[in-house]
Formats: sequence, C-alpha cells, structure tokens
Amino acid sequence: MPEPIARARGFAYRYPESRRPALHDISFALAPGSFTVVAGESASGKSTLLRALTGLVPHFHGGEARGALVVGGLDVREHGPAELSATCGAVFQDPESQVVMGRVRAQIELALENRGHGPVAVARGVEETALALGIAHLLDRSTDTLSGGELQRVALAAALAHRPALLVLDEPTSQLDPVAGDELIWLLRRLNEEWGTAVVLAEHRLERCLAAADRVLALVAGTIACDAPPRGFLAWSAGAAPVLETQAARLFSLAGLAPPPVSVKEARGALAAARLEVEAVRPEAVEDQPAPRPFQRRRRPPAALELRGAWLELPDGPAILRGVDLRVAPGERVALMGRNGAGKSTLLRLARGLTEPTRGEVERAGEVALLLQSPGDYLIHEHVEDEAGPDALRSAGLLGRERSDPRDLSGGERQRLALEVVLAGEPVAAVCLDEPTRGMDRGRKRDLAARLAALAEHGAAVIVATHDTEFAAAACARVVLMGEGTIVADGPAATVLAGGWHFSTEVARVLDGAALTPEGGARALARELVA
Amino acid sequence: MSRSSGFGYRPRPTPLHAARAGATAGYCAALGLVATLFDHPLILVATLAAVCLAGVAAGAGRELRRAVRLGLPLALLVVLVNPLVSQQGETLLVRGYTVLGRPLDITLEALAYGGVAALRVLALVLTGALFTAVVDPDELLRLLRRVSFRSALTAALAARLVPVLLRDAARMSDAARCRPRAPRRGAVARAAVRGALDRSVDLAAALEVGGFATAARPRRRRRAWSRHDRSVAATAIALAGGGLAARLGGVGAFAPYPGFDAALGPAEWVLAGAVIALSVAPFAAPRARLGVARA
Repeated sequence: MPEPIARARGFAYRYPESRRPALHDISFALAPGSFTVVAGESASGKSTLLRALTGLVPHFHGGEARGALVVGGLDVREHGPAELSATCGAVFQDPESQVVMGRVRAQIELALENRGHGPVAVARGVEETALALGIAHLLDRSTDTLSGGELQRVALAAALAHRPALLVLDEPTSQLDPVAGDELIWLLRRLNEEWGTAVVLAEHRLERCLAAADRVLALVAGTIACDAPPRGFLAWSAGAAPVLETQAARLFSLAGLAPPPVSVKEARGALAAARLEVEAVRPEAVEDQPAPRPFQRRRRPPAALELRGAWLELPDGPAILRGVDLRVAPGERVALMGRNGAGKSTLLRLARGLTEPTRGEVERAGEVALLLQSPGDYLIHEHVEDEAGPDALRSAGLLGRERSDPRDLSGGERQRLALEVVLAGEPVAAVCLDEPTRGMDRGRKRDLAARLAALAEHGAAVIVATHDTEFAAAACARVVLMGEGTIVADGPAATVLAGGWHFSTEVARVLDGAALTPEGGARALARELVA
Repeated sequence: MSRSSGFGYRPRPTPLHAARAGATAGYCAALGLVATLFDHPLILVATLAAVCLAGVAAGAGRELRRAVRLGLPLALLVVLVNPLVSQQGETLLVRGYTVLGRPLDITLEALAYGGVAALRVLALVLTGALFTAVVDPDELLRLLRRVSFRSALTAALAARLVPVLLRDAARMSDAARCRPRAPRRGAVARAAVRGALDRSVDLAAALEVGGFATAARPRRRRRAWSRHDRSVAATAIALAGGGLAARLGGVGAFAPYPGFDAALGPAEWVLAGAVIALSVAPFAAPRARLGVARA
C-alpha cells in the first residue's frame, strides 16, 4: 500500500484566545490520488482542518496544536506553510484575496518562480497549466477584468502550476454562480483522474461533488463523525445528520428506499429498476403559463413594488435591463433567477432606489429594504449592540452577543444581523435579498426561509435573487426567470422549477419535474407505491 | 460589468506599451526628471504638453483626464498657499496683517511662483498617471524582484489592492445607503479600513501557502531588444541627458524674486520644442504604426 499523502493521529488544535478546541481527536490517512470531500455544518471545523493541512494552522494563526498531522512526510507542527507548499497547494473561498499579480500569466509565473524554477521551466509550466485548466485564452488578460469563476480558475492554476501531490480547496465555489461552480468541480475531477492529484475539498453543496468523491470526512463539532465512501456517508447522515443529506438521498430516505443515491443518474436508475415512475411534467407546461400582463393592473389590488417598462442603459455599454415589467403583491414571495449578468442584481438596486432607471418607472408602496450580497458590508461598528436595537438583536438570535465585534460573528449570524439592520426602520413594503444563501449550510437556509415567511405574513413582499434552486423552491411561491435583461418566464415555483434543466431542483431532475422538494417527491412516490 | 477602477495598466497596441517595462519606465522617469530640473514656466508648460501628447498617443487620454481631476485641486492649493508662506517679491498686491511677528503681505511674484510650482505638481501627477497606464507592473516587478524581492512584491500588492479596496469601499457605501438611517461617513471609512486589514490578512495567508516565505530570487530572462525597446529607451536617454546638459549649461534660468525674471531666448525655445518632439518621437517612427504586438 502506498504511503499516505496526509496522515493524522489524534490531532487537536485550539485557536489563540479560545477555550474550546476547533479540532480534536482527528485521525485519518489520505491515499495519493484520492478525492476526499470534507462535509459538515458551518463552524464544524472544516476550514480549520484544511488550514492545518496547509500548515497555516498553527504557524499563521497561532494557537496550540497537539497530536500528529503529517503532510508529504512533514509534520505540520514543525514545518510551516512555505515548506509544505511544495507538496500541498491550496485554494480558498475568495478569489480576490488569492490573486496578487496584474495579469494572469504573471500570477502563474510567480507561483513557479517562488519555487526557484528557471525561465524555460516557468514558460513551459505556464503553458501546460493554462491548457490543462482551460485558461490559455486568459493568459494576457488583466486579473481585474476577470469574472469570479475565471479568477478562481486562475487561483487554482497558480496552486497547481508546480504539480503538488495534494490540493486542498476550502469552499472554492461559495463565491461563484452554479455554472462556474459546477465547472470548477468537473475540472477538479479531471485533474484528479488525469494528473493523479489528491484532492481534499470542503463544500456545502454536496450534491455537486459527491459523485466525484472516493470518500467523505464528516466533521461534527471539530471531530470526525463519519469517514466513509459517499454512499456510506449518505446512509450515516440520514440518521445522524439529516442537514448534510443531499436532496436525492433525502427523497429516498423519506420514501423508504435504499441505498441512498450518490447522483441524479443513480437515483433515476434505482427508481426505474424499482418500476417507480411518477408522471413527468411536460416542458410545455412552462411555456403555457400566461406572460405577465401589465395592462391588467387597474383591476388588481395595489402592488408592494411595481416596475413598468424599466430600462437601465449604461452610458458607455450595453443595456442591463430592457423594459422590465414586474409587479409584486404584498405578502408575495418571489425568487428572481437567471444566469450571471441577466440583470437580477440591477433589478433589486432599482427596486431599492440605489440606481434610477434610464427609462420606465418604479413604484413602491413604501420603503424597500435591500440586503446586498456581502452582509459584512452592513456591519460598520465595533460592537453588535451599536448595529441594531435589542428587539432586532432578539430577532437575529444575538442576545448575549451585544459586546462582540460583528467581524467575529459567523457568516449566518452576520447575515441575520445585516437583515435586521436594513429592517430597523419603519415597516417596509418589500424586502429584497441578493444571493443570500451563498456559502450557507442547509440549516441556515431553512432558518432564513422561515424568517422570510414571517416577513411575508406581516405583509412585506419578499424578492430573492438567487441561483439556489432548492432555496427558491423552499422559500418562494413564485419564480421569475431573467435572461439578457428581460423576464423570460414568470410563474409558480412548482411550474418554473419543474420544467427546466438547469433551473431545476435535484429532486425535480430525479422525478422529471413531478415534485420540487424531497417531501413532495416522497409523497408522489408513496402514491405510486400504493397504485 | 467591468470590475476595473479606471486606473492601472491596460495592454494597448502602442509603442510605449510594446516596449519593455524598463524602457517605458525610464521614458516616464525622464519626463519627470525634466519637470523636476526646471523652474522655467515655458519648459514646464512644454513638459506638461509632452506628457499629455504621449498619453493621448498611447491611448491613455482617459486616465490622464482622471489624473487632471485629481491633480487640479492640489495644484490650486499650491497656488493659494505659496503667497501666504512667501512674502518675497516687489509687487505688493495685498497688504495684510502681522501674524506671529511676520507680515502677511501678498505679492504678485509669490502668486506667480505659486502658479509655476502648481505647473510642476500637475506635470508630475500626470507623469505618474502616464507611468501607471503604460508600464506593465508585472514586468517591472520582475525587474525589481532581482534587486529586492520583498519590497517589489509589497509594491505590486499595493498596486493590485488599490482597485480591490476601491470596489470594497463602493460596496460598503452602497450598503450604508441601504440602512434606514445613513451612518456617519467616518464610521463607514473606519469599517472600510478594517475590511482592508482583514483582506490583507487573507492575502498574507494565500502568499504563505504559495511558498512566498522561501521564495528565491528569480533568474534573469534574456530577451532581444525590439525596435520599440530601442526607440523608447533612446528617447528616455535623450530626454534625461538633454535635460541635464541644458540645466548644467544654464538654459532655462529663472528667478521668481524679487522681480519675476525668466530668460526667454532661443535656447529656451529650442529646449521646450525638443522636449515635446522627443516625447512623441517613439510614436512618429514610420514603422511604429505597424507595431501592435508585444515585441
């Protein structure tokens, strides 16, 4: 058996100024060329474990480490990140904070020059890495003109240029749209298969990556609660940690089917083998939905928010919105979906009044609250109690944290606090949220959906721009699909999210659109079993 | 939407962009040297014109316009402050009071010299903007890394982080506008600084795992000199050498006090013309119009 590329024995770590260990009793061995997914809820220790593999823990962050963690033959307690970097490349969440050079070529060159490669080896390494990662066309582009997905690929190229035996990635898709995220996971799978690079990937959206994985390490409260192949992990999570189950696995466990499927393909195959075929939704059903009819507005109750023929044309660029008509009633929950650049964020900015339309009108029944993509941007004071009053802190579940620095809050806590900050004034007519679920685990998404439902019950229109089809299906009754600055589909979530291929939940893909959620799908399968 | 801040290097098909970074940096430095060597208003106006012509020819007119918007308030401040701190000059415009035992008179010569100093400030600001727009920072960094690796990387990081931090600040400003009660600007500014520090910590972690701490000095790359390299480097040498020689030869003599005395003979006119002609020389070579690729 080959020597493990990384091995931990009773490894434990505690951050400085923290009483509780972030990791404890960690033991595992990673084989060369393996693909391991690290699963767990937020704050379960995933990032700390990955940072330990790179040597940032304990050398960069300080704190106290015990036990043994050996990477490429080097004990991380004795060797720092620079020494470990020969064996271990790393990619983190935010691509902006990993790229330091002005151009893509220079960024990859720097990674090789740092390791003493000569000009010829650098030139060859740049070409080969760029071709392998499909970024040859970006080599002479300025890094500040790249999209998030392109920038993350550049960060990956810089981490891989010197061909490390181990690559660790800490939620690399959390800042990306689903298309770019899926592409990155496929790229990792190809690198793992063709280059033999061992991959350790921490990820919230497990349905994306389980099919590629050999093994899953599930962390609960800083310790490994499950170390198994993907199917074994899914069987474990059904009982021990349902919040970590994929939607297809949840569907199977609710329907009493076994074993849990690792991919959509496997789920469909299992259902076909069991002769469980629920009635599919015809794609035409979406097209049959009536288009929005703005001229009917006189007969309808007043809208919370209405855009009439709204255009936004950049002075020196293309039109971002092209005559959008959208009417949202009080208490209505709407998911705004579409690929990057479709105009979702711009529409929300128009709704709030951050940007004025160049043509058309925006009518608001009252104040519109807007939570932009980075909740941390709203938190500008040094203490939580300075950001919002006691009632708001109670709503955010932050009583007892009044004297904390907002930057010390977890991602979910920041999001809740930021939402209360924008809702702190008079009752609002509409609440708009831009990509609120990025990097959020399923438990936190469920909490957010409940908060939005409560706001809608109090009469606020809720509009959520999101790529997350599962969240849209759970939190919203209506889905508006945008493309090229216009609305291309508008209807009930059950229809819009069932008939598509990309804008469709995992359960809808398994059941050909017969249901969106595991619960709905299980009911449909139960009917089929009775029949 | 573009994430560009409007400042910074963009590859363009011009001789200044096609030349190696060392030559282009030398060209900008030579223009800055001329602006520093001479007080003479005619030479400073010529230098300013030379920088503007070079910027427009290099497709950096937009960057220079932005730099003018930033530099003009500073230049105006210099015009206003100089008469207040210098009481020299024989033409009294305003007789002021005595403050701390010093007369606060305003003279025409002090005001005029303030204008000359403002011209120099503007010329240097625009030269800096031209440098930022036409010198490839990555290539320059590679040159400097051979001399001082860490200082060069720090400079590169600073250059790279400016647009990133500007975008961070714009986002925070938008978020502040979304609050029911707008917070004080100071609070937003402090939060932006704290955010910048957080980002720098993340960046430091990324550099650590990239092997920065054990990085070796990069090896020299040998690259043949292209015609653009040669013409831009020759222009830089001519500008710097000619300027130094003229200064040592007494051309461009200027005394602001007690009376405004600026020599305006043929030598000054020739020098002013030469600065302008040399600055556009790399663009004027007939074959240069074909040079669209990096040589």
